[in-house]
Amino acid sequence: MSIINYAAKVINFKLVYYGPGLAGKTANLQFIHRCLPDTNRGKMISLATGDDRTLFFDFLPVSATGVRGFTTRFQLYTVPGQTLYNMTRRLVLRGVDGVVFVADSQWERLRENVESLRNLDENLKEYGLALATTPCVLQYNKRDLGHVAPLDYLEYLLNRGTPRVPFFEAVALDGRGVFETLNTVSRMVLVREFGQAQEVRS
Amino acid sequence: MRLHDVVIHEADAARIDGVLRRFLADSSSAAALLIDRSGQPLAETGTARTLDVGSIGALAAGAFASTAALARLLGESEFSVLFHEGVRESMHVCAVGEQTILLVIFDERTTIGMVRLFAREAAASIGTILEETRRRPKRVGALAAPLTVEETRRASDHRPA
Repeated sequence: MSIINYAAKVINFKLVYYGPGLAGKTANLQFIHRCLPDTNRGKMISLATGDDRTLFFDFLPVSATGVRGFTTRFQLYTVPGQTLYNMTRRLVLRGVDGVVFVADSQWERLRENVESLRNLDENLKEYGLALATTPCVLQYNKRDLGHVAPLDYLEYLLNRGTPRVPFFEAVALDGRGVFETLNTVSRMVLVREFGQAQEVRS
Repeated sequence: MRLHDVVIHEADAARIDGVLRRFLADSSSAAALLIDRSGQPLAETGTARTLDVGSIGALAAGAFASTAALARLLGESEFSVLFHEGVRESMHVCAVGEQTILLVIFDERTTIGMVRLFAREAAASIGTILEETRRRPKRVGALAAPLTVEETRRASDHRPA
């Protein structure tokens, strides 16, 4: 649910990083916060427990180059991944324009990924949205660990919708795949909002 | 619950600003922020212009949403007003219709009663304006035509320093 303010010349989008607990959602935002220049990002806020597990959400506003005189702001949020916190996850999804699903590639976490994706679809329905029609990117995180499922298998498990969504392999702690994921979901949200003109080739 | 996109045209922004300025004068409050319930700022007046409205919007919307969920557990539809009392400054948060929240920051120059009284009036006026904005076209002027591939690429290209 984008917000266009013609007076302030600002367009706001909300992107939510979703996924099971400990998959690396907060790590994505922390890397983005660390690497973007001050001019392109605001303060990062983390509502976390004492042991650094997300309790409510992390929040980080970022912006790229504006468009046609308007500043485009993307408000990045994470949700708490733990099953217990479903009501909080649902609250954070309110007004979402695009979703990054951060999956944990480790074999022993596959079931949690599937359950979290199903939970995302259910929670989107609460707002009259559907996973199939919401801009979404899949990120297979923790690819540097030894005991991870092959990409084909993760795709078979998690990316079976029509159409299939873009996906990236990632090591969020080191930043691998983090900006590719963010830029792709941002582009999808913009195209959905403003359409895409055909390139004119001379 | 299907949420609607929000569009604020220049004339509507001026009307909202007028209501907020009048509210600040009537209630002797320091700042007023209008935020969408998803946490995104829509308008601000008073000392709010010097605050980190993005962070305040995200946190206040989160607090309001979790309080509404608490209310439902008690059988209420929601708690329509929140009040946070500080040593020097306090915050009054109230619903403006289904989608918007009015957040007011005030100090010892006024009282919670004054803020509450005038916030109710301001919320009603702003609610009417927002209802009208929802009936207007979303993309006009510079944003009417689809973006080119290059415009989309630039506007979505977040690049590490």
